[in-house]
Amino acid sequence: MLIFALKRLGIAILVAITVSMVTFSLIHLSGDPAMALAGESATQEDIENIRRVYGFDRPIVVQYGAWLGGVLTGDLGYSHYLATDVSTVIFDRLPTTMTLGACALLFALVLSIPLGVLAAMRPNTMIDRLALSIAVVGQALPSFWFALILIFWFGIVWRLLPITGTESWLNYVMPSVALGYYVTPGVMRLTRAGMLEVLSSDYIRTARAKGLRPMSVMFKHALRNAIIPVVSLAAVQFGFMLGGSIVIETIFAINGIGFLAWESIQRGDLAMMQAIVLVLACFYIMLTFLADMLNAFLDPRIRVG
Amino acid sequence: MIGRFLRGLPVAAVALAVTAGAAWAGKSNDTLVWVTDREATIADPYYNNTRELVVIGQTAWDMLLFRDLDTGEFKPLLATSYEWIDNLTLEFELRDDVVFHNGKKFGADDVVYTINYVSNKDNGVLTFKNVSWMKSAEKLGDYKVRINLHKPFPAALAYLSNALAIMPAGHYDSAPKLADGTRNYGAIPPVGTGPYEIVEVKKGEAIVMKRNENYFKGGPKGTPAIGNLVFRTIKEMNTQIAELLTGGIDWMWDVPKDQAEKMQGQAQVVNAPTMRISYIQFDVNGKSGQDFFTKKKVREAFAHAVNRAAIAKHLVGGASVVAHSACHPVQFGCTQDVPQWKYDPELAKAKLAEAGYPDGFEFDLYAYRQREYTEAVIGDLAKVGMRANLKYMQYRALRDLVWKNQTPVNHMTWGSNSIPDVSAITSHFFSGGRDDFAKDPAVIKALETADNSTDPAERKRNYKEALARISGELYWLPMFTYAKYYVFSNELDFTPTPDEIPRFYTAKWK
Amino acid sequence: MALPPASAPARAATPIAPTADATGAAKIPSLAQVVEPSPGALLRRRIRGHWGLIIGGGVLLFIIAVALFAPWLAPHDPLDQDLTNRVVLPIWYDEGTWVHPLGTDQFGRDYLSRLIYGSRISLLIGFAAMLISLLIGTTLGVAAGYFGGRVDMAVNFIITTRLSLPVVLVALAVVSLIGNSLWIVICVLGLLLWDRFAVVMRSTTQQVRNLDYIAAAQATGCSTLRILLSEIMPNIANHLIVVATLEMAHAILLEAALSFLGLGVQPPAPSWGLMIAEAKGYMFFDPWLIGIPGTALFALVMAINLLGDGVRDVTAPEGRN
Repeated sequence: MLIFALKRLGIAILVAITVSMVTFSLIHLSGDPAMALAGESATQEDIENIRRVYGFDRPIVVQYGAWLGGVLTGDLGYSHYLATDVSTVIFDRLPTTMTLGACALLFALVLSIPLGVLAAMRPNTMIDRLALSIAVVGQALPSFWFALILIFWFGIVWRLLPITGTESWLNYVMPSVALGYYVTPGVMRLTRAGMLEVLSSDYIRTARAKGLRPMSVMFKHALRNAIIPVVSLAAVQFGFMLGGSIVIETIFAINGIGFLAWESIQRGDLAMMQAIVLVLACFYIMLTFLADMLNAFLDPRIRVG
Repeated sequence: MIGRFLRGLPVAAVALAVTAGAAWAGKSNDTLVWVTDREATIADPYYNNTRELVVIGQTAWDMLLFRDLDTGEFKPLLATSYEWIDNLTLEFELRDDVVFHNGKKFGADDVVYTINYVSNKDNGVLTFKNVSWMKSAEKLGDYKVRINLHKPFPAALAYLSNALAIMPAGHYDSAPKLADGTRNYGAIPPVGTGPYEIVEVKKGEAIVMKRNENYFKGGPKGTPAIGNLVFRTIKEMNTQIAELLTGGIDWMWDVPKDQAEKMQGQAQVVNAPTMRISYIQFDVNGKSGQDFFTKKKVREAFAHAVNRAAIAKHLVGGASVVAHSACHPVQFGCTQDVPQWKYDPELAKAKLAEAGYPDGFEFDLYAYRQREYTEAVIGDLAKVGMRANLKYMQYRALRDLVWKNQTPVNHMTWGSNSIPDVSAITSHFFSGGRDDFAKDPAVIKALETADNSTDPAERKRNYKEALARISGELYWLPMFTYAKYYVFSNELDFTPTPDEIPRFYTAKWK
Repeated sequence: MALPPASAPARAATPIAPTADATGAAKIPSLAQVVEPSPGALLRRRIRGHWGLIIGGGVLLFIIAVALFAPWLAPHDPLDQDLTNRVVLPIWYDEGTWVHPLGTDQFGRDYLSRLIYGSRISLLIGFAAMLISLLIGTTLGVAAGYFGGRVDMAVNFIITTRLSLPVVLVALAVVSLIGNSLWIVICVLGLLLWDRFAVVMRSTTQQVRNLDYIAAAQATGCSTLRILLSEIMPNIANHLIVVATLEMAHAILLEAALSFLGLGVQPPAPSWGLMIAEAKGYMFFDPWLIGIPGTALFALVMAINLLGDGVRDVTAPEGRN
């Protein structure tokens, strides 16, 4: 297990560095940072002055090196747009996005795993069809349309829920549903597919033949094995949600990392983007690591090799 | 770093447990919540180049002079009078009854400090063009200052009244230095003399302002009526609309025409002109590789093909007008008495055929803003055979391409920073600089004369000559003036102004 | 004892059991009576009985037909704008007219024609992007799952790198550099959507790899490629189909999200995703502008999902040897 973990850690660091280099290049390639800072009506002289004063005239490798050096000493940099330390802004907003993602994932799992198990227990019956319908319907709408529909009904027409901001838990309801429902069908169908396969396999038949109670069969034996691809998927989906939160955060005016990332990309705020990507990379690495560990724990066959 | 993260987490958890709070906008709270789709970054007009900070700059700070939009004259604000000593020297007498938000009395030291600090290139002011014309400032007495210019600059007063917010002496000195040599200006609390004082800056979320009870009386900005102003950011237009309709916010702008008109009755809807104009720029020297537009007949065909009046009327708004010259009609020196091009698609097709393209051709059209306007242009062009591929991108990416001369045709806009003088637009684009595709010596000369003269008649004459040539040769096809839809609460008494700087300090509740 | 009729669903097959004849003695069914229908016949039987598959396949075929015959079906040119005829209401409103049965959009373009031509773009995007991501993701995932060790580590590295890169940043950079043609959007989508293929294929391959018949195949000296293709792939095909349909739908919807951010297909192309994104502003006042392409997209995505589910069901484990 230890070697496994160390190998993963090595990959993690390599990923973080690679991603930060790619991001750095992408931001520079997508426009001139000095021009972005100087703004729309700046003249050539203004921009050159900004370039000089703010250090954008150094070679890219030097700029990257300076940034990397800062990171290794704990300084994530300074955003000239927001005029604060990058770390201050990111760690102020990260909990918001984490909360949103967690609520969305929770909504998705609570809805989809039972649906998937139910559908697998009664395959090809009305229940199965119903579960599948819920899954398919939920997946076929673009997220921003769904979010706007929610706002229209629950925010404007019925005035049940607040629309923007994050003052209370009620503010998180619509965004979580809008963000989480998309994940629901995938998890549900994978659970169902996995359960169906497992339920018809030999060792389940053996367990049933042994006289074990159906519930015990279902959860201790079947679900444990069926859940393996689901765990991977859930980890990937959480990551996807952190990325997909851009649309949701934009629509609901939630000040999280997603919205910050979009604004920073548009502004060409180099320092902020680098830091956001780094922080997100760490999260993904942690997530996939945990998912791998969980899978290895659940299915010993994976541990070997 | 980690500590801050852990601190943030329980807050979010608590927020989840607490039930919803009430809306906090409107007359009942004496709080005007105004919203745009851009973030509130730093609350300093010199280190931020967004329109939002131009607005906040006029709300929380005062300039030396104030431009009266109706008469065009410059009224005293922090200065009681001004005098041109010669065309490189300006002197001001200052008011003696003004107090900064932090209680400090205003005087010549503050003006001198501000001007000397911001005009120094090494201080990296982002809106440098607004201040680079000044060389230095000197104190002549407790309430008298002299400003020295680099060269004659007729638009000096316009820039002074628009952009030169006065900071208290020593204001920036306490900004901590950063590792890369610049300074952290965000660490300094904003201080000004204006009708409102900034009490809280939530970076990227909101800027909260409170009425300045000690604002001096008898100035052109009047006395502020509304008690609190809050600036918030909501990116998604539908969400802004939803919040306005449910009372969560009181004021928004830049609303698309169709949506704005549907809100009549539930809110006040006003379409007001702005100082921004939309224009088409042609690569007349063929440097981009697609040389269709080096031929004047092709440019003429383009001009005849696009129904600018229809776009202005149906897509922009009632206050938008077709522009015929490369300037905004309200700017000093601008005239529409130049060659004009009629909408005539048949003529367009004929001229295309004359130019050697009877079946039309395909080309790239670059744009960055209000994609629907460019789409309409493309639609019109397609009808005469000019098939445009839309290259829609970020402003900074596009500007880069423009400067590298890689755009055969670009559809862009210019707001002139609301400076009411032709030098802020025409001279920028036609004086031989990087934005000048034409590099026409006659135009360059006329503009140079006009820019450096202090005789208004001579300026107007030369600007007209330049503009006539630009429109005649179709270096640009000026399109239309932008008009903005303002939508605000029925409880609010507010009047938009054509310089896109909403005067919240004269707004009041009904 | 007659064999069950060919049209009855497989699971309702009448069991063949010995029955007594008039003499009361047990009667063993003859060989001819015991033969089961061929796998092909079984498949066809299953397909006919699975209504999800039929509906999904039917709708998809309908949309494909519309796409193919678009020039004949569309009443107007989808790019023909008319600024004096903007946002004309569809036929089910009083002010509607049969000239524009589904109304016109904010540029006066006929919505029905745009809808019809839009099917081409959405189908193309979904299918092409899915294929690209399938090829990339499956190759990486199966390789990682089968070979394990260093290959697994390398693939993990690639997957995590891809997941850590914000989709939006990549899309924005690509657009700034190259612009947004249709094929660029497809490639960007394909290059960004392979991760789920890789992750799922990897974990299912890992599960299958250690089973007996793989060891048997290795023992008999089968080449790796042969093992991968003939032993591993069929066993993970189910999951592959599930993920493929998910990703095709995902690609179509992601194109709409990219259009929402301004990074998708460029106007005036009538892609359904772009139509939805451009109509977003009219949502509260003219909801049909977003509802019509939204419903079309919905139908397409639903059809793909139903089809995927159905295919997976009729090739279910019990039917496989």
